[in-house]
Amino acid sequence: MKITKILIANRGEIAIRIMKTARRMKISTVAIKTTAEPNAMYLSFADEVYDNTEDVSEIPIFLDIEKLISIALKTQANAVHPGYGFLAENAYFAQKCLDNKIIFIGPSPDAIYKMGNKTIARKLALKIGIPMAMGSTGNISNEEEAVKIAEKIGYPVIIKAASGGGGRGMRIVRKSDEMEKMFIIAGKEAEKAFNDPSVFVEKYIENPKHIEFQILGDTKGNIIHLGERECSIQRKHQKLLEESPSAALDDKLRKRMGKMAVQIAKAVNYYSAGTVEFLLDSEKKFYFMEMNTRIQVEHPVTEIVTGIDLVEQQIRIANGEELKIRQENVRLKGWAIECRINAEDVQAGFAPDPGKIEKLSMPSDSYVRIDTGIQAGSSIVSTYDSMIAKLIVSGRDRKEAIKNCKMALDKVWIKGTKTTLPFFRLLVRNQKFQDGTFTTAFIDELDKYYFNSEYEEMLAAWLATKMFSEENLRDSGTSKDPLNKSDMSPWLLNKRINQF
Amino acid sequence: MNDKLRINKLFILSSENRKMCFPLPLKNSIRIGKRDYIVQLKSDEKYGTYILWKNRKFPVEIVRARQNKYEILFNDISYTFTVETPFSMKRMKVLSTVKGKTEKESLKAPMPGKIIDVLVREGSIVLRGEPLMILEAMKMQNEIQSPVNGHVISIHAKPNSNVMKDDLLIELKVE
Repeated sequence: MKITKILIANRGEIAIRIMKTARRMKISTVAIKTTAEPNAMYLSFADEVYDNTEDVSEIPIFLDIEKLISIALKTQANAVHPGYGFLAENAYFAQKCLDNKIIFIGPSPDAIYKMGNKTIARKLALKIGIPMAMGSTGNISNEEEAVKIAEKIGYPVIIKAASGGGGRGMRIVRKSDEMEKMFIIAGKEAEKAFNDPSVFVEKYIENPKHIEFQILGDTKGNIIHLGERECSIQRKHQKLLEESPSAALDDKLRKRMGKMAVQIAKAVNYYSAGTVEFLLDSEKKFYFMEMNTRIQVEHPVTEIVTGIDLVEQQIRIANGEELKIRQENVRLKGWAIECRINAEDVQAGFAPDPGKIEKLSMPSDSYVRIDTGIQAGSSIVSTYDSMIAKLIVSGRDRKEAIKNCKMALDKVWIKGTKTTLPFFRLLVRNQKFQDGTFTTAFIDELDKYYFNSEYEEMLAAWLATKMFSEENLRDSGTSKDPLNKSDMSPWLLNKRINQF
Repeated sequence: MNDKLRINKLFILSSENRKMCFPLPLKNSIRIGKRDYIVQLKSDEKYGTYILWKNRKFPVEIVRARQNKYEILFNDISYTFTVETPFSMKRMKVLSTVKGKTEKESLKAPMPGKIIDVLVREGSIVLRGEPLMILEAMKMQNEIQSPVNGHVISIHAKPNSNVMKDDLLIELKVE
């Protein structure tokens, strides 16, 4: 069976990203219209739109397995692409697709399950000799056990959710009397986010770099890697900026880590696109963290430096085709940086700032790629994530990519919500970022004053002065002082105060 | 009499307590070094409202204006300013000399969300950086940490209660 029609079980920029490649491959697509976003941009990229706005169910459609299967069958789509998030790493959904003779564009349900459960993944990696941070071999049921293990491996340790991922359900513990509190919090958070309260403990690597390898595998057993991405610019384990390659790796280390990544993928007979995440410490020792069994948000940086369309490869592999790319032919050319422009208030701890995007204009230079599902008039709704656009910038080397990134960031124009733009504008000008010596702790160290220049504050102050004087001093400043509510002169006031 | 009250300039105080001064009537230019640069407030269909300065457009928005307090979003960064006249400046100075230094720290919600857990009680001794509450916003759990060493005077939010941005959560006595 060949893929002829794909149901996109996702929304936003990734839905558009998938549909663009499908169109090029002459495969038709079905998108789902929802009540939350009935006028969303992604709908206009589909050959067919399934109207689900009558649905009053509490579960968002992109998480409703039964409903998605029935839509695929109804619209005669013979394949489903899950994108990222939602059901992308749900083994049951992948299995349900197969049961209904629908091709799931992704790995096998077995691989999703094994890599999705961190304790199973850890045991697998341990068996084939992949370096890992020391820790518990299985789940931990109470804080006494956690304290015992922590004392054996030494503080600080990190408590992680067994079914976790994407940075949620993690707590760092620095001394034993914090353990009880943190253990309870981590368990609660894990249960809430992943429906599974089980956690495990591992040695916390201080100030590491986050390095991940892009994997491609086919159903014939061929597995290659497409080099690394560095995603150390994170806030609370949420990635903000990614680049490929990484300034921290040389060819030798890249080869070693890449080989390990391929071995892990082989251990679960992996096929489709996937990502193996590592932590790299200051002595360039690396530790396996987890494998993500989906296409990732940051996949474009790999596409730019390798020239390989990852969604196309996913579709070809799902069709049963053999990988045509050999490991020795994979070359990383140039440098690519991705900035996640989200509707967030960086001055309020990156709090989401949903709302209507009133104006939106993006640079169109040759070194810029924009992946977005938002246009002027679109709304960022709190039902979904806060992403506005991914700004992907390239250059011949890192220095040029940063220079281009600086220029591109200044050309982005968004009005309506607050965005992460001030953060990126500050970041690309930071010396440590330019040197490439930053770690995952970097954002906490970054100067929090988001001023581009002192003149900008002055210009803003000029506007405040203009507004104030136009509202209050209409007759050119000779009238009564608008702020003198008490009509009491400061000298008199001074006298009164001194009487106390 | 009128001459005494003539307002010939306005002071702008930023939230970080920087002071700027603009002579009145307000000019459409800002002096940098020895040169004056033209500032223009403009608006059009493509860009919305913006400030044109040195051939560059900066997006601008007045987020809030209450009496003499302004929140201005300029190039995606928000600034909170208080506008003061020479008179009100003087009065402020006088008042600040009598008001003692505050030893109380009020913690407010940094974002809207739900309180998942309160980790301290009234009277608890807390250390700087110690988590006091867990606030969940957009499915992320955030620790509200103590900015100071001290003890808890009062708690203003219960577990499972929803809070708005800037709602008072906890009051601490600084030690």
